[in-house]
Amino acid sequence: MSTTTPTSTPSQATPPAPAGAERPPSAFRLSFAGILRSEWIKLRTVRSTSWSYAIVVVISLGMAAIMSAALDLQDGGPMPAAVQAAFVVQASTFGVFFGQLVVGVLGVLVVTGEYSTGMIRSTLTAVPRRLPALWAKAAVLFTATFVVGAIATLGSFLVAGPMLAGKGIHASLVDGAVIVPLLAGALYLALVAVFALGVGAILRNSAGGIAATLGMLLLLPIVLSMIPATWANDLVPYLISNAGTGMMASGGQAVMEPWQALLVVLGWLAVSLAGAALLLKRRDA
Amino acid sequence: MIQAQSLTRHYGSKTAVGAVDFTVQPGKVTGFLGPNGAGKSTTMRMIVGLSRPSAGSVTVNGKHYRDHAAPLREVGVLLDAKAVHTGRSAYNHLLAMAATHGIPARRVREVIELTGLESVARKRVGGFSLGMGQRLGIAAALLGDPATLILDEPINGLDPEGVQWVRRLVRHFAAEGRTVLLSSHLMSEMALTADHLIVLGRGRVIADAPVADIIGSATRSTVRVRSPYSGRLATLLARPDVTVTPTGPDVLEIVGITAADIGEQAAGAGIALHELTPLSASLEEAYMTLTQDEVEYRSMGSPDSDAPELQEAAR
Repeated sequence: MSTTTPTSTPSQATPPAPAGAERPPSAFRLSFAGILRSEWIKLRTVRSTSWSYAIVVVISLGMAAIMSAALDLQDGGPMPAAVQAAFVVQASTFGVFFGQLVVGVLGVLVVTGEYSTGMIRSTLTAVPRRLPALWAKAAVLFTATFVVGAIATLGSFLVAGPMLAGKGIHASLVDGAVIVPLLAGALYLALVAVFALGVGAILRNSAGGIAATLGMLLLLPIVLSMIPATWANDLVPYLISNAGTGMMASGGQAVMEPWQALLVVLGWLAVSLAGAALLLKRRDA
Repeated sequence: MIQAQSLTRHYGSKTAVGAVDFTVQPGKVTGFLGPNGAGKSTTMRMIVGLSRPSAGSVTVNGKHYRDHAAPLREVGVLLDAKAVHTGRSAYNHLLAMAATHGIPARRVREVIELTGLESVARKRVGGFSLGMGQRLGIAAALLGDPATLILDEPINGLDPEGVQWVRRLVRHFAAEGRTVLLSSHLMSEMALTADHLIVLGRGRVIADAPVADIIGSATRSTVRVRSPYSGRLATLLARPDVTVTPTGPDVLEIVGITAADIGEQAAGAGIALHELTPLSASLEEAYMTLTQDEVEYRSMGSPDSDAPELQEAAR
């Protein structure tokens, strides 16, 4: 064959390694560590990831600044320390409410993007037992989103803290009533992302997955509170977004303790991931 | 080696693959041939576990694909549809695939070079032409240096250079004792590339034989004869097992007798011949004959037929 342009013509060389009946044992082997690495490469090499995470951080910092600036204290009396801490925490985690929508969309896209492009066939050919790919996706998304969430809430504290200090409201990061809710906000974002990943894996369609996730995060609380029945009212705290708010509560007036709220969020996540695992194992790819 | 036993796949009431048995041997290129909807892609998808068989099983080197410790080293597969995220670069796609098996980045660069993708490796796959997409698919299939190569329509969208390269690649793989299963809708391509053919029609194996045998058996060879005395010649050759078809003024196409015999007999009777040409059947003709038989068989509605519409009618 006459080689034309070297760039557009496949090389004449053939694969170097010899093969046949007796092939040398290979160092290549499918492993969970390898699958984790693969999913990490996949997550960081599409644009939607960096965009989403940047938006989460920017929104969080912006909301903290707006909240802190808008706070106007009429009564000049000295506040209890716990109330001061609650103010700062609230300003620092206000962005989590918006951030959950962004990471929810990202979580859906991490898996539906593979279905819409056909990438899922490559993924499942490399990991034919399938479930390890789902667990690896969830683990990588969880870790990345937690780190970004922590940057967002801790960064927001650094924005809100000095602004509120100027108004006589002080809080210290080492205070358990401050650091725990801030990290709980990051944890909630990570859990929402994985919850959305499960929803995406169940529906396998970007539009449907995003609609379902946002519907559960945003619409369900509104719909339930509009139903004039006690059972509907009783259910409201158990919705994922309300439980998420409960996780970050630093005051005592909430319906449940933060750890109970965490259990509720974990319940949502378990249902979503279990459904995803079951269907991933069963369905054709 | 790929072994399918009673491999079956239903989609609702339709049978995509109906209890097929076949073995793809190492050391040669096996062609998978059949009209659209014959079940080629479904069968290939079942081999690598993307589709689940309704019944039966298929193994690669004695194990189910998913039970191998290093699936990508066992089988390299290129499926007909694109299987790459459009927002990722070719290099990152291959790197992510390689990472699952601990395949080093060096091997990724190797397959990029091998498939001629160097200039576009860092570009996002969404902008790739069909041919570039095919090369990337082949690069992914080669990543694990697999013992078995499964390529569904690999030359789709490739330029002539690329087609030749794929042909050489699969020949080389087979020569090394590896197993190659190749599907193509181009019969001429199969004639050039494959040693052995498995012909599928309506989800069943209708032929499983060396390429030469299929060409030889499916069509009896025809001889074209041109003579000003074609009428006399036709009478002379008339026998129950010989078919004489006039195809033009003074031209006959004769089946059931060799060119040499026709020449001898014509000479004996003093009939001048202006042309005596043995027409060997092409693979394409052989294939048409095979699938035509399949269609006729179907329309006769044999009781053991598993065509879904007939089953529906029977209920």
